[in-house]
Order: sequence, then structure tokens, then C-alpha cells
Amino acid sequence: MEKILILNGSPRAPRSNSKRYGALFDRAWGGESETMDLLRADPGAVAERLETVSRVLLVFPLYADAVPVPVLRTFQALEERPPKNRPTLSVLVNCGFLEPEQCDVAVDMAALFCKQMGWPMGSVLEIGSGEAILDSPFRFLAAWKIKALARAVAADRPRRLKAAMPVSKAFFLKASTRYWLAYGARHGVTGEEMATMEIEGQRPS
Amino acid sequence: MKTILTDRPLSLDLGDREDLVCFDLSRMRIAPCVGCFGCWTRTPGSCVIRDDAVKVYPRLAESDTVLYVSRVRYGGYDLPVKIMLDRAIPVQQAFIRLLDGETHHVQRSVVPKRAVIVAYGARDREEEDLFRRLVARNAKNMSFAHYEIRFTGEEQVEAAVRQEVEAWKRS
Ligand SMILES: Cc1cc2nc3c(=O)[nH]c(=O)nc-3n(C[C@H](O)[C@H](O)[C@H](O)COP(=O)(O)O)c2cc1C
Repeated sequence: MEKILILNGSPRAPRSNSKRYGALFDRAWGGESETMDLLRADPGAVAERLETVSRVLLVFPLYADAVPVPVLRTFQALEERPPKNRPTLSVLVNCGFLEPEQCDVAVDMAALFCKQMGWPMGSVLEIGSGEAILDSPFRFLAAWKIKALARAVAADRPRRLKAAMPVSKAFFLKASTRYWLAYGARHGVTGEEMATMEIEGQRPS
Repeated sequence: MKTILTDRPLSLDLGDREDLVCFDLSRMRIAPCVGCFGCWTRTPGSCVIRDDAVKVYPRLAESDTVLYVSRVRYGGYDLPVKIMLDRAIPVQQAFIRLLDGETHHVQRSVVPKRAVIVAYGARDREEEDLFRRLVARNAKNMSFAHYEIRFTGEEQVEAAVRQEVEAWKRS
């Protein structure tokens, strides 16, 4: 299997869900791979690596309905100094909310980058409930879709895939509240404190 | 309260109205969000990075009108406005609710607002359409009750902003 370059675009790359999704993809890929964290990597080094592969997987979280800053910075740097090679870019995006469709705009931003660069756009996997799914009983669903993504990327057969916890919205609200309460409790912060209406210690008049 | 966020210096006369403020992000020190969720789970409502962003998001929260000025890149905001919008998540709680049938965060004391976005430098209709879709999504997460997008060329930015500000001053 040909080598794939996995680019982790998370602002918290070393401790990110994207890192875990990238690792699951790597396992499903089976062939040679190299991972770079866009947060730390020099864009010149990324461009250099892009000369050596025909396939790239960009893994990132949804940030404010769009691509996060390390991805935007990398797009801009690559546009300024484009590599000669034009690899196929596939995308694995995850978001905190339940609906994978909330990632559509960010995926289309990546597609627009590809169009502006003359790169082929490859396959896409959007994972909703992506903050929590890997530590839930539905981890297998994410892993299963990541395998399907790896197969589509290897076969150069662009597919658009989605995954999310198969639960009702009402259940998701309850489960996410439990998730965040436990998160706060680890820092000694109560649910009431987390639910403060104050911003910077002030309640706007 | 009305607030302008701009990614480029603007020569504006806001008079001595205290309810009008302009943040020129090109002259501010604002680091990108590091995704630590401290503003939800450690110091709720406050970002752990104590740079200029902490002056901006409380002000955005209490504004009933906002005007964003941004270059468009890949159908989204260019870095200065993007960085600031990511850093504004302390105005939300970690907790999730349903809004229009979709999951979204509960807002803290955030005034519903009218947003005007002066978006410049889009390359074509396709990029403008994507930007429209982005702002439609932002509206749900950023409490925009109404919004308008004004696509302009780089040279028309000042005029577009001035027109809006003059209307504010008359109000
Ligand atoms: C500043 C910021 C903005 C975010 N914006 C969104 C958003 O608009 N929609 C969403 O569903 N999740 C949003 N999230 C949640 C992340 O996408 C989610 O937690 C993801 O799992 C993080 O992945 P990572 O660990 O790979 O960085 C946001 C998180 C942060 C810190």
C-alpha cells in the first residue's frame, strides 16, 4: 500500500481526539503512514512532505462551524508556496454536537482549498458527538466508519461518510450533561458553577 | 451597545459615544484557542489565556449590534476574526440544548444581536455562497437574531463600514 500523510489539524494536537481518530485510521490503513501535527509543524516541512505522497488525510475538529486555526494557517501557507505535487486530500472531521452535518461547511472549506490549489478532493468522514464517542459504547461505530474511509481512500473512490452516536437527541442532551459534569468535577468545579451566567465575572446589564 | 471587530485599521469617527466601540484586531495581542475547555470546566465564563481577547468577548456578549469586518478565505473568516471568534466560547456553557431541532450550547448572559458582516476579498460566487452558509451556522452559536452580509471589494470596506456606523449614530 502506498504511503499516506496524516495531518492533524487540532489546536490541542498532542492530546486530541483527532490524534485518536488519526491512529484508528492508521491502523485501518495498514500500509506506511506519516503523521504531522499542523499546530507545531513548520509549513515548509509540510509542503516538503506533500511532494512525496499522492494521498493526504486531514484530521481536524470543527471550531466555530469552520476549520480550526492550524488548518487555516496551513492552507494559507501552502497557497503562498504551493508544492509542485497535487495530492488527493481526504478529510476526517469531528465535532462536539450530535449532528455530523454541522461539519458540512468546514468540509466544503477544505474542498474549496483543493479547488483553488488544483488538488483532487478525496473521501470525507464527518463524526458527530466526536468529543465523546470514542469513550462510549459506540466507539466501534466510529472505528467501523474509519475502516470504510480507509478503504475508500485506498481505492481512490471518493465517498462521503458520516458517523454519530445512534441515540435520540434527548438522550444525547442527558449524556452530554453527564460528560461535562464529570469533566468539571475533575477540576473541583460544580455543575452550578459551570452554569454561571457571568462572563469574566460580570453579568451584562 | 454596538461593537465593531475588524481585521484591518479603519479611520472611523465614533464621536464620544460610549456605547460604540471598535476593536482593531490587527493591533491586538490575541493567541489562538488551545482547546483546553478551561472556560467551561475550570474557570467558567473566563478564558485561561489572559490576553486582549478577554476584553473583547464580554463586550460582544453585551452588544445588541455587532459589525465584523473580515477578509474571506476559503469561504470563511481570515485569521484575525477567526481567532477571536474561537476565543469567544467562554460566553457559552459546556451544557447542550436543542435549538431549531439541533444540538447547540447553552449561552450565558448573551444579548441576542443584529450582526452585519462586511466580507471582502471573496474570489467568486462559490466562495460567497460558502461564506453565507458559514454565517447561517454561526447565527445559531453566536446569538444572531438577524444578520446581513455585505460582500465588498477591499477598496470599498471603509465606505461600507462608515455607512453602517452613520446609521448607528443616528439611532
Ligand atoms: C473554540 C472551540 C470551538 C468549537 N466549535 C465547535 C462547533 O462549532 N461545533 C461543534 O460541534 N463542536 C465545536 N467544538 C468542539 C470540538 O469540535 C470537539 O470538542 C472535538 O472533539 C475536538 O477535537 P480535538 O480533540 O481533535 O481537537 C469547539 C471546540 C472549541 C474548543
